[in-house]
Amino acid sequence: MTHIPRIGIGGPVGSGKSMLIERLVPMLAEIGYSISIISNDVISKEDADRIRNNLATKKGLLPENMVIGLATGGCPHTAVREDPSMNLAIIEEMEENHPELDLIIIESGGDNITTTFSPILADYFIYIIDVAGGDKYPRKGGLGITNCDLLIINKIDLAELVGANLEIMRTDAERIRKEKPFEFINCKTDQGVKKIAEHIIHDLLLDSQPKSDSLKKSVKIE
Amino acid sequence: MININSILGNIFKKSNLENNNFEKLKISRIDLEKRILRKKTDSGTDIGINLDSGIKLQNGDIIGNDEVKIIVEQIPEKVISVRLKQNNENIAILLGHIIGNRHRPIAIKDKIILFPIQEDSELEIFQRLFKEIIDHIELKIVEEVFLPHTSADVHEH
Repeated sequence: MTHIPRIGIGGPVGSGKSMLIERLVPMLAEIGYSISIISNDVISKEDADRIRNNLATKKGLLPENMVIGLATGGCPHTAVREDPSMNLAIIEEMEENHPELDLIIIESGGDNITTTFSPILADYFIYIIDVAGGDKYPRKGGLGITNCDLLIINKIDLAELVGANLEIMRTDAERIRKEKPFEFINCKTDQGVKKIAEHIIHDLLLDSQPKSDSLKKSVKIE
Repeated sequence: MININSILGNIFKKSNLENNNFEKLKISRIDLEKRILRKKTDSGTDIGINLDSGIKLQNGDIIGNDEVKIIVEQIPEKVISVRLKQNNENIAILLGHIIGNRHRPIAIKDKIILFPIQEDSELEIFQRLFKEIIDHIELKIVEEVFLPHTSADVHEH
């Protein structure tokens, strides 16, 4: 079966996980990448409904059935770390029925201490925090902040308003992350979001072209 | 970028490849679990790993192509080492139970149990967790290449 590269996006409630997806997917779709999204939550499917409405229904960037809401019934981070079987079942079905997909995005809420994605579930792990949690956040470490493949610090436009010093956050992130990358972004204006797309294309998709491109080429050859 | 989909051998196991002029690719234990990984070797060669199903990288693996051969080198990490002062089955069982409850992978080496930590402050946490058996064990932080026992793979259940 085709293995479709998968990104896990984790972060505290309100940090901007769904908004990041809503900003990132149009950029990747414009290049031609075909994407599916799974949104984990305890009982609500509100995030999935919003993403579906904004990206599929309104913009037509992906079919509506490519945005899936998964109500885990327990801590969402458990469903992406200790027992990812519910997410894996959906992904296996996707891989069988939609091998044309280039990327699957799995979203799940979770604090900095416990959140990480099982490597069986996600090939690339993005952890997103925002400046409103205070500039102490990066240096507090924890699995998410330390181990993720890409740390994102969102809502930098609010830094001054909430008294968060971005230079402190930068220095602490550099120290705690060592050579691993981090980026400052503002999802409201797309500031820095293109860089996130570039990390994904370089580090996870290994600069591969969208599958739809090779399909088009093979059609031309025929 | 050099594409890697499979492993050619392992320097710690039987390998037909001669160990000369190999580049080194330093990878953390957590990144070794990954199927897709992009990194540079110590010589700056750009490597794109996208392993075939069922293959997992290990310390000492040899990867590469006809031109470049690379040895995968696992980065040492902080671990807590626990030594039982006497052979005592009950203490050993309780010790395993407490570590297991924290979902830590373990390694057993010469009757010493090792498990990874992120911060030195975790020593204090485990001293508290082990309080009932603390007089029967010796705890210390060491830095080494941690090779988890496969049955303790917390991601497999």
